[in-house]
Parts: sequence; structure tokens; C-alpha cells
Amino acid sequence: MENALVDSLMAFFTSERALAIVRAIVLLAAGLMVAAIVSRLPQRLMGKRFTPHQAMLTRRLVYYVILALFIASALRELGFSLGVLLGAAGVLSVAIGFASQTSASNLISGLFLIGERPFEIGDLIRVGTTTGEVLSIDLLSVKLRTFDNLYVRIPNEQLIKGEVTTLTRFPIRRFDLKIRVARKEDIGRVREVLMDVADRNPLCLDEPRPLFIFTGFGESSLDIQFSAWATRENYLDLLNSLQEDVKRAFDAAGIEIPFPHRALYAGEETRPFPVIVHSVIPPDSDSGKA
Amino acid sequence: MNQGLWWMPRHVVSGRTLRLRLGPLILKAHRSGSEWLLSAEEVDETEAVPGVMLEMSDERPDDKYVRYACRDPQDRIAFRPMLADRPMVVRPRQAVFVLPGEETIFYISTPVWVGVVAGENDQLLREIPASRPSDTWFGPSTRTGEICYAARTQARNVLAEVPMRAYRVVTALRVENRADSPLPVEKLSLPAPLLSTWGREDGSLWSDTVHLQRVTDSDMAAIRVEPGPPSYASDATLLAGPRMQAGKGGLVRAFSGFFT
Repeated sequence: MENALVDSLMAFFTSERALAIVRAIVLLAAGLMVAAIVSRLPQRLMGKRFTPHQAMLTRRLVYYVILALFIASALRELGFSLGVLLGAAGVLSVAIGFASQTSASNLISGLFLIGERPFEIGDLIRVGTTTGEVLSIDLLSVKLRTFDNLYVRIPNEQLIKGEVTTLTRFPIRRFDLKIRVARKEDIGRVREVLMDVADRNPLCLDEPRPLFIFTGFGESSLDIQFSAWATRENYLDLLNSLQEDVKRAFDAAGIEIPFPHRALYAGEETRPFPVIVHSVIPPDSDSGKA
Repeated sequence: MNQGLWWMPRHVVSGRTLRLRLGPLILKAHRSGSEWLLSAEEVDETEAVPGVMLEMSDERPDDKYVRYACRDPQDRIAFRPMLADRPMVVRPRQAVFVLPGEETIFYISTPVWVGVVAGENDQLLREIPASRPSDTWFGPSTRTGEICYAARTQARNVLAEVPMRAYRVVTALRVENRADSPLPVEKLSLPAPLLSTWGREDGSLWSDTVHLQRVTDSDMAAIRVEPGPPSYASDATLLAGPRMQAGKGGLVRAFSGFFT
């Protein structure tokens, strides 16, 4: 009984079929190895001339082309005819297309994203309320790392349909400081103090000049927008240091940053009611009963 | 060469501190065993001393010091004057025009960068500007251009009127206008990384001369660095070479970039 089993196993392993399976497995394994090694070559050869984005695209392209060739060879070893397989895939694709509508939409959006290149790996982007660094741009989704170190996956379709802001596209950025000063303040003086603050801050760019816009009369203030430029690397530092400097300079110059206030008037011609607070009289006292 | 000059090498034994006061910069180098400890502090430019003070003390380092560890402790340290690591965009305080067919020379002073080098092989530990200039953007738009430092200048054209301050390097800029219209000098970019730094016995610092030539009425200018110390400081010695070499045939850039 045992001999028969061993014999049949031996017969199987020495048969053409088994050899073909072994060859196919070897081809697949070799394909994986070759693809992994060869896909790293372009980056090594081109060195630093590749941006991380180009390096990733080339690596993936080379990897998948080589792997596809080896898989095709392995399938041939197993006796599959590629023509028949492709024909079957054609029939299946209609069914698969309906079933995987979302994935297909993301896939095509991904191709557009790769072609259009609105951002690259390493850029900072803002999608809706999410801001983060682009870790990878894949066929179905883009992966972000947010500032609080969370991993966010955004489907490509959403990026193609919606608004995406690339924060690190240009080398310099503008910081808009919205500020209010009391109505009594001299706007010319406020402008002088703000310009002086910008001049003294080394991170604030000298050119383009900081912008001073008197945006209007607020309810209890004069509203001002002060816009200063910084390199994108120093943007956050400027944001902090400039506001600190402005507060300090305003305090030194005696310029008031007002809080919202209301004045109550009894009528057009009268002075406001004088309000005097007396000490509270307990309800059970004699005067309270009377 | 005068050994008293601040850029000459010094020997600091372990436990001692070398203190350099250069304009608004206070730079301290302390040696502790195999380590160098550096501290740099910039005071307000209004409190800057016009000269240089260099002294050795027993001051103990505090937490503000940055430590540089090395395997082979050597007591030699030097402060090396250099020019800025980015181009310097200089704006004259008053509007200046160079008339057609004329040539003039402007003397422009920019803050010196101090490189701290230690050991026999002059290992660079750190670079500190004597006075940190403001950043600025130099280019035709907010999309294209480069980050530079900003400086204001009186753009004096008489050498004797240029105030000699130990913490500033004087660059002579020759501007030649071969075009038919007056050339407004409102803003110009000094290619500081292409210039060498020269020092004289009196402690003054100079750079190579820069020659700027406007050829036609177009926006193009040819810029050329004339290597070597300027003629009026011919006894100066080379302290630091250029940070980078100019491209072949000098730099030719748009005038709108240089003068806008």
C-alpha cells in the first residue's frame, strides 16, 4: 500500500507536469528577485538627479513590467495560452468593471494625478481639513502623514474632484496677520510700528515688502491686515515670532488691542444711566417686609 | 602679519575661554579636554562696538554652549572672516543714477561671517554672521528667484568716506553704463559667495572687486569678479577664498533682476 503511494508520488514528481510546476515556481521566484533588484538600479545609476517622486515612479514601472513578463512565462510553462487568458479577461472585465466601479475610478484618477503632478512626494498638501506631507502617490490613493503623525489615506478620486492646496510648491509664503487696534489709535503710527517690527525680524523677507491693509472699521476697533513674507521653511517660525514681536511693540508704543465692548445709552439726548450697586438686603429683614 | 589681528590662530589650553567681541557679535570658544564649546550671541546693532575685543578668560561655559567633540584634542583655534553664504541684495538709501556712457564705483559694506576653525587641518566647527541680515527674495516674481540677504547701503563713491567697521567687509562695485539711457541703481545683488575675503594689517576687511556692465538698453547686464585684492588695499592678504566658482564667462543676468 505504502509502496504504491510512494510510487505514484515518484511518478508525479518525475512527470512532465510536476517539472512544469517546479519551473513555473522557480520562474516566479526568480521574477520577484530580478524585479526587486533591477527596479532599484535606475535610482542608483541616476543618483541624485531623480526626485523621490520620479524614483518611485521608475521603480514601480520597472518592477511591474519585469514581474509581468515573468508571470507570463510561468503561465506558459504551466500550459496556459496567453491568448485564451486575455480573451477570458475581456469577458470578465465587463463584470469586474461594474463590481469595482470605485476602484476603477480611483485607478484612472491616480493615472491623471501621476500625469498632472499637482504635487510630489515630500510636498505638504491640504485636502479639505487635512494637511500633511505626501508619503506616496499610489494608483488608488495618496498617503499623507499629518503634523500630529497620523497616517491618512485619501482616495485619488477625491483629489481629482476636489480642491487640493500644495503648500510647498513655491519657495516663499505670505503670512496674513489680522489685527485690530482701538479706534483712538493713529493708523499712520500703527503702520510705522508694524513695518518696524517686520524690518527687525530677520525671518521676515525684505522683498516682497510687507503689506499693510486697513480693512475697515470694526464694531469696536480699526481692522488691519498685515501681511509678511517668509521662506516656506521659516513660515512657522515667522508666524510665532512676528505675533510676539507685534504684541511687544504695541505694548511699548502704547497701542491698544481692544476687546469687543458695548456702551448703553438711555436715549438720544441723555447721558448713560449711572448704575450704582447697593449691598444686598436680606428678604426677611424689616425693611424688606415693609 | 600682525599677530594681534582677530583672525590669527590662537592656542587655548583646556579650561580656558577665548572671547571675541566683534561689532554686535559676542563669540566665545571654550576648550574642555577633547571638546570645543562654542557660544554666539548677537546684541542690538546700536550696542555694537566699532572695534574688536579679543581676550582670554577663565569663564565657565553654561548650557547655552554647543559642544563639538573630536578624537584628537588640539588647542589651536582661529576665527576666519568670510563673506555671506548667499547673495546680498543691497539697496541704496537714496536713489542713484549712472549716466549713459559713464562709469562709477560704489563702496558697499556687508556683515562679515565668522567661521570657527579648530585644529591643524582647520576643521570648520561653525559659521556665524557678525550681524544677521534680514532674508529677502530676489527675482522677477514670487515663483522664480532666490533667497538672499538684504542690506541697506549709502552707496558711497569716495573711499575715504566709507566708515571702517571691523565687522563689515567692503566691496568695491564698478558700474559701467554703456547704454543710451541713465541706469537707476535701486537694488543690486552682490554675488557674495563668489568673492574672496582679504584682510589688511589695520584690521580692515575687503573683498574682490565686482564689475557690472550694462551693454545695451536691454535688461541684460554682465557681471565679472576681478580676482585679487583691490588696488587701494594691495597689501591685503587672502583670508578666505570664494565659496563657489562663477560659471564660465562670468554671470550674465537680466538687469531687471539686478536693478528693478
